[in-house]
Amino acid sequence: MPLDFKTSDPLTVGVELELMVLNTRDHDLTRGAPDLLARLAKAGLPSEVKPEITESMIEVNSTVHTRFEPLAAELAATRDGIVEAAGRLNLAVCGGGSHPFHKWSDRRIYPTERFLKVSALYGYLAKQFTVFGQHIHVGVASGDDAIYLTHRMARYIPHFIALSASSPFTQGEDTSFETSRLHAVSAFPLAGHLPEVGSWEEFNGYFDEMAGYGIVSSMKDFYWDIRPKPEYGTIEIRIGDTPLTVLQAAELAAYAQVLAADLLRNRDSEPIAPQYLVYGYNRFQACRFGFEAMLADPRAHTHIRLREDVLATLYRVQRIGDELGAASALRAIGDRTDRGLNDARWLRERFSQSGHLADVVRLQAARWREEPAAVGADLAPGKLRAAK
Amino acid sequence: MDARLLPTLPLAFNPAVLFGVLLVAGMLGGEVARQLRLPRVIGYVLVGFGLAPLASALNIGPLLDEARFFVDIALGLVLFDLGRRMDLSWLKRDWTLAATSMGESLAASGLVFVALHLLGFAPLQAGIAAAISMATSPAVVLLVAQEARAEGQVTERAYTLVALNSLVASVIVTMLTASVHYEVKLDIDTAVLHPLYLFVGSLALGGALAALARGIAGMVERSPELHFTLLAGFVVAAVGLAQAGKLSVILSLLAFGLFARNEGRGHDLLAVDLGRASRLFYVVLFVITGASLPLESLQTAGLGALALVLARAAGKFAGVLLFAPMGGLRLRQATGLAATLLPMSSLALLLQHDVARLYPSFGQELTAVVLGAVVMMELLGPLAVQWGLRFAGETEPEAPRAPAGAILER
Repeated sequence: MPLDFKTSDPLTVGVELELMVLNTRDHDLTRGAPDLLARLAKAGLPSEVKPEITESMIEVNSTVHTRFEPLAAELAATRDGIVEAAGRLNLAVCGGGSHPFHKWSDRRIYPTERFLKVSALYGYLAKQFTVFGQHIHVGVASGDDAIYLTHRMARYIPHFIALSASSPFTQGEDTSFETSRLHAVSAFPLAGHLPEVGSWEEFNGYFDEMAGYGIVSSMKDFYWDIRPKPEYGTIEIRIGDTPLTVLQAAELAAYAQVLAADLLRNRDSEPIAPQYLVYGYNRFQACRFGFEAMLADPRAHTHIRLREDVLATLYRVQRIGDELGAASALRAIGDRTDRGLNDARWLRERFSQSGHLADVVRLQAARWREEPAAVGADLAPGKLRAAK
Repeated sequence: MDARLLPTLPLAFNPAVLFGVLLVAGMLGGEVARQLRLPRVIGYVLVGFGLAPLASALNIGPLLDEARFFVDIALGLVLFDLGRRMDLSWLKRDWTLAATSMGESLAASGLVFVALHLLGFAPLQAGIAAAISMATSPAVVLLVAQEARAEGQVTERAYTLVALNSLVASVIVTMLTASVHYEVKLDIDTAVLHPLYLFVGSLALGGALAALARGIAGMVERSPELHFTLLAGFVVAAVGLAQAGKLSVILSLLAFGLFARNEGRGHDLLAVDLGRASRLFYVVLFVITGASLPLESLQTAGLGALALVLARAAGKFAGVLLFAPMGGLRLRQATGLAATLLPMSSLALLLQHDVARLYPSFGQELTAVVLGAVVMMELLGPLAVQWGLRFAGETEPEAPRAPAGAILER
């Protein structure tokens, strides 16, 4: 049966943020999600908060936005509500792509039907999937646009990796990577990228074939870095670590929105195959070296430093950014890129100061809680929802 | 060869042999319990029960008394750990937790007081037994929760409630000793000053040790191994210092743990897990506790003990069920939480010892009632915690499995 692509308003954005649920004693992950979610269900937050694969995670789903600022305000208001509820349960919540020292075998699968099946099928991979990403949805007018945009956005995947990287530590050690989270994703059999199909119809053929082999039954079975999301009428960029602040998460969503606008307006008809030939290499470079990664450019047959590539791209899309109300977000991203600042560096600096990863997580939670400052009374969750 | 170089038979036992034997015997008892899907603690205690007649037959009773040293260290570790888990800022953030704590402590002790008074005990005696009944055994709760790998709100709240009721119980017992002083006609200065000395002195000792530990921690590398050694050393020393200073071991160690928490005081001391090392002592603690419990107290004071146990349980359930749901706990969770507060063990014994040590003649009957209740709860308590945590859904579930070739359905 063909997958129906539900169209949505082009260039609308929404984000999903996977967050860590911690105890406040040693800031290890803890089984706090069920109680936290029960409490949040009554809190009337502007975003939806849902369970994730293990009980030490929650996922925030924003509503759909056209502009950066209201998205940032909504995420901050939701953050405040979560912080308040977590405090009553003596839990802390924070961003970051992976917990630096938790033991994966201590995690508990969230007992929904789907997660229990995922766990039964994937064994330890399911618990190891306790990593925390930001997913950005961008609305598109048609399935064909979704296929086009998914392919063309692949070139910018390293940008999102470097800008969001916040998981340099795993299992108590510095991995030397800017993000270690993506290794947990790569372990799944259907990880990778969209195959080289040219239209939604062609994609449906591919999907039917895979379903016919008895390998997949829904889009959720593809653990791709970017994938079309026919139910929402969006493409979903799933590559990023959850940043350490909600503001950065909103800024990255704005960057994705502006890039999508640029790609849809200035359509590229060059073959996609060469881009996918260098895809894995560039992805690795960005994960390992962040802004200092050397990206292979299959058209120019050269390498370019990721930092310069981001800055050049920001320069190119500046006007679209102004038009979409994303200028301040792009400026902030440009500034961080210019100075080589990302969350991975922040975390490493905290570690070199304190010498202990539990302290790093504590500071991480404080940053999540306090930056940007709590939303004022005029933007209290209830009012924000009423205003929509 | 000179015969003096060889041992004489029968071999004389010493505390080291005893520690080793109790440890291994306790471990084996624990494994038997585990095979029966019971908490290991029950196995340790039963080994102790079984050991008691053996000990008297072998005439190693005095040696068991010497081994109290290990019990003290074990209790020190438990209380320190508990103090560290006592998060007073949580009480500010969630008033229902403070209310639950007040509720369950007051209701349990109130009902015990009424029950014992009805059975004809003098108010002061009934009052002391009621105060002792407030306390939940921290060692049982910690051990059973860790064994079941329990995690969640019920487990966390149980730790905090146990810490609080242990603290309140020992403060009240300390204060009641003032009345005991009065009762046995000591001068009024002693009646006021001694409890004050116990209270202030114990807090000061705990605070001073925490400050010193923090200071030393700031000078050495921040590695969990070093901080573990540091804290283990300080806990053992704290027990000794509290005993030498005739202070309350319970209050001193709880205070040390509480002050060693990191809130608002820099973060020099790591929250290291004393885990495996302290578990060695826990095993011995329960075996010796089991061995030292006079089972005959069930005969002499069975009815009183049963009344105490029932009244106490009713109070704990009433207090928790009244307030915990207001904090968002489901009924199932609140019920489980109340069950985790039932164990009585070495802490109650220690409080009892503290009173009895001051005035050996004071209340033989009362002693029998409290000991009888402890005997019952040594076995029922761990079961209650295991059941409560499981009922609340916080113990570890079994891993699901899928056949090869399975795919996820839509």
